[in-house]
Amino acid sequence: MIALLPELVLTFGALLYFIVSLFKAPDIGLQRNGAIAIALLAFATACLAGGQEATLFYGAYQVDTFSQLFKVLISFAFLVVVIFGQHLKGIRSEIRPEYTMFLLLSVLGLMLLVSSVELIAIFISLELSSFALYLLVPLRDDHHGTRMQMEAGIKYILFGVMATGLMLYGMSYLFGLTGSTYLSEIVPAISAMGDQPAVLIAVVMILAGFFYKLAVFPMHFWVPDIYQGASNETTGFIATVPKLGAVALLIRFMTLPTGYPEFLSELLGGVAVCSMFYGNLSALVQTDVKRILGYSGISHAGFVMLGLLTLGAEGYGLAIYYIAGYVVMNLACFLVICQVSREGENLSVKSLAGLHRRQPILAIILAVSLFALAGIPPMVGFMAKFFLLTSTLEQGHLVLVILAAINTAIAIFYYLSMVKAAYTDDADDADDADDADDAHEAEGAGAGGELQLDPLTRMTGVSLVVLILVMGALPAKLVAMAGNIVQTIM
Amino acid sequence: MIQSYLTVSVILFCLGIVGVISRRNVFTVFMSIELMLNAANLSFVALARLHESMDGHVLALMVMAVAAAEAALALAVVILLHKHKGKLDTNVFSLLKG
Repeated sequence: MIALLPELVLTFGALLYFIVSLFKAPDIGLQRNGAIAIALLAFATACLAGGQEATLFYGAYQVDTFSQLFKVLISFAFLVVVIFGQHLKGIRSEIRPEYTMFLLLSVLGLMLLVSSVELIAIFISLELSSFALYLLVPLRDDHHGTRMQMEAGIKYILFGVMATGLMLYGMSYLFGLTGSTYLSEIVPAISAMGDQPAVLIAVVMILAGFFYKLAVFPMHFWVPDIYQGASNETTGFIATVPKLGAVALLIRFMTLPTGYPEFLSELLGGVAVCSMFYGNLSALVQTDVKRILGYSGISHAGFVMLGLLTLGAEGYGLAIYYIAGYVVMNLACFLVICQVSREGENLSVKSLAGLHRRQPILAIILAVSLFALAGIPPMVGFMAKFFLLTSTLEQGHLVLVILAAINTAIAIFYYLSMVKAAYTDDADDADDADDADDAHEAEGAGAGGELQLDPLTRMTGVSLVVLILVMGALPAKLVAMAGNIVQTIM
Repeated sequence: MIQSYLTVSVILFCLGIVGVISRRNVFTVFMSIELMLNAANLSFVALARLHESMDGHVLALMVMAVAAAEAALALAVVILLHKHKGKLDTNVFSLLKG
């Protein structure tokens, strides 16, 4: 019972919001606090259920330390998203209960996903989380009548289902080769088969399905458009929480013996390098903050691949550490974006100008998280990259390490250009400038002067900064812990 | 016997992928995706027959249910787009670029 508690909390939360959505004029303050309360409860129960071990639903659902670790991470990220997105500026007030319901269902799907060890269960929970997410994108309020959120929504749905199709086809081969849908029966059956190429094809196709969620190179094309089209809160969710689930499932499927470890390792290496170069080079020319973060997400997914390609518990542990760090840094960035954006509009780099004067705390949070994303020493971003590159080098992938290091250097440019906009450019000066265009653009950003920041969001932002520094200060322990946890499922 | 089923399923799947990549009309892309899902279904059912187990059939049924839900979702969003644009047969991939 306790083992399943976080999932039950989310299920009842979603049902509650379904009922709330049936009423005409629900109280907005109550709704907002209700969502935070449910997220907090889910996080608390996920921590409580941390040490549980259970096998449920005829062996299709396994609660172990691996799944519980990811549940704690997912519920933490969800809690942060709900806190900084509590005003739901980008969503019309009539449809906010529906929005919250889909958000809760999506988190529920991801939590079920990390515990599923059977193909049908994996498929259904993945679709539960994806479909709820697909719907969040077109729910954005249509300020300017451009309908770009509809277009983003339809792209997300069509390409998402295509990725599911690839994954299903891979699953059908896995099922055909072994005659079972349970991973625990599939593993011994295919390791007895030796180096059968069909196994490799099946595993690569299944991985491709999860590459879509993580936004790795060949399956990355949706990222910038969906990030731009979705409201800031939704993007903050899409950029963080589903990636945790994707990494968990990638690790589960990578532990299958394919018979061609060298080939798989080389393939992932190629994918990783392409992701990094594509993401970083495209980010250089962007002006929309969310598009920059989208492209940077593609390059960070490439770094996660570096951890996975070592095909060992240590590398998987590093991948978990990296993605957890990435999620914390990204959450801090989106916290700032959601607060700076007054009516849920998209932010350009220019609109960050003079942030240090308008709201110094937000400027510090933004600076720390961007420095961390760029990989500047005391933060988690540097430590995670450093450990990953060292372990990849130990495995003998020298070329990969050199290319990754070049990419880190490229990335610094666009992260720091955002910090520069927040600290050195002045919104007030732009107002005085003769250039009418400049003055007009600055008006939207800086006209109101001080930004409002409620205490809960401020506290969350500061704790994220502390978390970025603490995770950067004690990497060895966390990496070792993640490695040990992965060892239990291998 | 099983080879012929699998060959048909591979052909369907490839047709689906080609359709998704090469077509710009939202309905054609949508049909191509359904083709991919049905290719996977065919493969599941054929292989379930090979193993004489019902698991593959169950999975195929699940896929059908999920595909139906997906159709409802996608068409709802297409209608929202249509309300704005006023014409149905159009290239939706035009607003977001760069």
